[in-house]
Amino acid sequence: MSHFLFVQSQDPFTDARAARQYELAIDLKKRGNDVTVVLVQNGVVPARSQAVCPAFDELAASGLTLIADSFSLEQRDIASQQLKANISTGSMDDVIDAMLAGHKVIWN
Amino acid sequence: MTKTLTFAFMDPPFESERTVTFFRLLDAALERRANVRIFAYEGAVALAFARQAAHGNAVHGRNTDEEAHPLTKDWIAALQRKAESYGLTFEWINCGLCVDERGVNEVIDGCGRGGPPDLWRYASNAFNTLTIGTR
Repeated sequence: MSHFLFVQSQDPFTDARAARQYELAIDLKKRGNDVTVVLVQNGVVPARSQAVCPAFDELAASGLTLIADSFSLEQRDIASQQLKANISTGSMDDVIDAMLAGHKVIWN
Repeated sequence: MTKTLTFAFMDPPFESERTVTFFRLLDAALERRANVRIFAYEGAVALAFARQAAHGNAVHGRNTDEEAHPLTKDWIAALQRKAESYGLTFEWINCGLCVDERGVNEVIDGCGRGGPPDLWRYASNAFNTLTIGTR
């Protein structure tokens, strides 16, 4: 089993490739890897409970670890209580911790 | 043993939210007591340009001091000071060709000039590397 962390800055509403990036994370999880996705910048937008995005909802339901960057949420006036289920909040510390643990860290 | 993390970055100052996220990552790395190495290429070589200048905002009626316009060269200098205070290393190399293209040869102290072999050396010797690409 490998450990992957994706820094997800792209969002599916403006970047068509975001859905493909979600699929990669889901596939890695399905193959038994430990996968974390940290949502940053506009990447946090589909995490809002009222956001309509089936591709993101599939990501959130896949069993991987999903973290929304608190700074990016605050910039967009999104409260943690407004997030969909299975999403916690975090910071760049989560990315650095993964790097220091030797995980594969990938910027999307 | 202190670990070293390498970052490769190509975004210019003042244009992308990625630049802010990038600096947040560098700060977090130092707070986790990691040595930091940066290879800046393409537009990112201007992050350390010494002649960046703050300005006021006439529309909002603020002078230069009141506007407190952030400059990336100052953020780099602040990170250099933080690293030193923690007993860590903070190395910064700009891609020389990218610097020449943009005419931003004057950089703040502590930032050097190099090329792709330096990125290879940085990545090869680091505990981990993150490349932040521009789409």
